Amino acid sequence: MRSVLAFSESPALAAEVAAGAATICESLGGGFAVIAVSSETPSPSNFEAVADAIVEVAKREGAQVVLLGATRLGRQVAARIAVKTSQGVLSDVRDLRVESSGGAAAMLTGVRPVFAGKFNAKVASVLPCVATIPSGAYAPQGASASSTQPPATVEIAMGPKAPERVKHIETRPKPKNTVDLKSAEVIVSAGRGFKNKEDLVLVENLAEALGGVVGASRPLSSDLGWLGEERHIGLTGIYVRPSLYIAVGISGQLQHVAGIKDSKIIVAINKDKQAPIFQVADYGIVGDLYLVVPALLKAIETQKAS
Amino acid sequence: MSGKAPLRIIVCLKHAVDESELRVDASGHPILQGAQARMSAFDRNAVEEGVSIKEKAGGTVTALSLGTEDVRKSIKEALAMGCDRAILVNSSKYLDALATSYYLARAVQRAAPYDLMICSEGASDTYDGLVGPMLAQWLDLPFMGYVRRTELRGDGSLQCELAMEESVEVVEARFPSVISVVSEINSPRYPTLLQIMQASKKPIEEFPLDSLAPGPGEAAAPEAAVRVLDTTAQSMSRKKILFEGSPEESASKLLEALKSEGVL
Repeated sequence: MRSVLAFSESPALAAEVAAGAATICESLGGGFAVIAVSSETPSPSNFEAVADAIVEVAKREGAQVVLLGATRLGRQVAARIAVKTSQGVLSDVRDLRVESSGGAAAMLTGVRPVFAGKFNAKVASVLPCVATIPSGAYAPQGASASSTQPPATVEIAMGPKAPERVKHIETRPKPKNTVDLKSAEVIVSAGRGFKNKEDLVLVENLAEALGGVVGASRPLSSDLGWLGEERHIGLTGIYVRPSLYIAVGISGQLQHVAGIKDSKIIVAINKDKQAPIFQVADYGIVGDLYLVVPALLKAIETQKAS
Repeated sequence: MSGKAPLRIIVCLKHAVDESELRVDASGHPILQGAQARMSAFDRNAVEEGVSIKEKAGGTVTALSLGTEDVRKSIKEALAMGCDRAILVNSSKYLDALATSYYLARAVQRAAPYDLMICSEGASDTYDGLVGPMLAQWLDLPFMGYVRRTELRGDGSLQCELAMEESVEVVEARFPSVISVVSEINSPRYPTLLQIMQASKKPIEEFPLDSLAPGPGEAAAPEAAVRVLDTTAQSMSRKKILFEGSPEESASKLLEALKSEGVL
C-alpha cells in the first residue's frame, strides 16, 4: 500500500497540498492520495496533538510522503512528525518527484530556494519522508485529472486531550488586515532611502495614482516601525507577485529581493547607481527619490488628463 | 523553579555562509570553498534575546553550536555579545536538521540543568525553521515558535507573543521550554572592543560528536536522511534598463516603457 498523505491547516494551501500529493502519487507509479482533514484547527498550543494524529493516519495508510503546507505552524508539525518517525524533512520544496537511480532506493526530490533565494538547491530525502510546500507550488485544480484513483479523505482523530503544555492565553487578530499585498497587482514599496516618516506620503500617492498598495522593506516595517509589520516584504515577511513592483529607496538586499522575485515587472528608484536593486530590476531610475517620485506623479497626472 | 532563581539559558546558533558575499562560478554553482561565513543573521536575535532576559532576571547564557573549528568565530561573537560560556559540538560530518537537532539535544542534556533554550526562526542559508521545534521534541519540552515578545512571569513560566501569519497568539509555558524567535523581536547589540577582548577569556567547552552518540540500550541516532544534490544560481533574467536623465525625462520614459509592457 503506497500513499501520500496531504494536510494543511491553511484553507489557501489545502487544495495545493492535495494537488501536490496527486502529482507525487503519479511519480510513485501508482499510489493514492489521502487528504487529511481536522475538525479541530491546529494552533500553537495543540500542534503536537495534530502531528501525533497525522503520524497515526500515515502509519495506517502506509504513507510514503506526508505533505504539509510550509506555514509557520506547518513547519512545527513537520518537525514533530520527523522526530517521532525519524524521517527526513524537505522544506519549501517545489517540483516534487520520486526518483531512483541505479539500484539505489527511491528518493523524494524537490527544488527549494537557499541562501536567501540567490540559489536553488535540488534536495532529496530517503522515503518515507515529510515535505512542506510553499504557496504557489502547485495549482489547486491542476495535476492528475488522469489519476486512476480520486483522493480519499480521512478525518484525523485527535487523541484523548492531554494537558496542553503550551497554554493559550489570547488571540489578537493582526491589525489592518485590509492590506492585501499577496494579491495586489501593483505594489509601491519604500525603503531606507526615505529620510522621514512623513515623506512616505510620496509612496502612498504613487501607489494611489497607480491603483496599487504600499509595501515596505524590513528596515522600515521592523526596525524603524514607520510602516506596519504586515507590509514587510521579503524572506521573513511576505512573498508577493504583482504585475508591477516599484521599489523606492530600497537598496535591494537579498532578503528583500527573495520576496519580490515572482513580480512580472520590477522598477527601482534609487540615487545610488551601484545599488544591488538595479541588478534585479527591469527598469531603473537613477536619481533622488524626492525629485523622481514627484516627477512621476506629475507625468501620470498629465497622462490621465490627456 | 521559582521566578526568582537565576535562569539557565542556552542559545543555539549556526555558523553559516554569508549569502550576500557568496560568489557564483561560471557554471552557475556557488563557490562554497573558502566562502565567507559568520553567525547566521537571525541567530544574533536569539543571542540578543537570551542576553537581555539574563540581564533582567539574572542567570547565565550558554551559546551552543555544532560544526568544525570555524564555528568558533560565531561562538566568539556570541560571547562578546554577552553569553557567559559556550559549548562546541565538534563535527565535520554532514548532518541534516533531524540529526543536527538530535546531537544538540544530547549536548543540552549533558549540559543540564537548564531552563530555556532559544533558537532563531530559521538559518540564513536554508531558512527551514526545523531545528528549534525538533530540539523541543527530542527533549520532550514545550515549544513556542516565532516569538516576537517574551515576558517572564513570576511563577516560573514564560509568556510569549507568537507572530503567526494571520494573528498574534499569546501563549505561556513553564520552564524548561524551547522557543524560536523572529528577527523583529529585538535589535542585536554590537559588542564593544573591550567585550570582544574579554570574550576570548570565556570558556568554550568541546563535546566531540562521538561522545554524544547513544549508549547501549538507547535508541539509535538518526542518520542524515536529507541530502543536497545540486545547488545552482537562480536566474533573474531582468531587463536592467536604466534611465539617468533629469527626473522628468526619466519619469516619462519609464511610463512609456510600463505602458508597452502592458502593466499600466
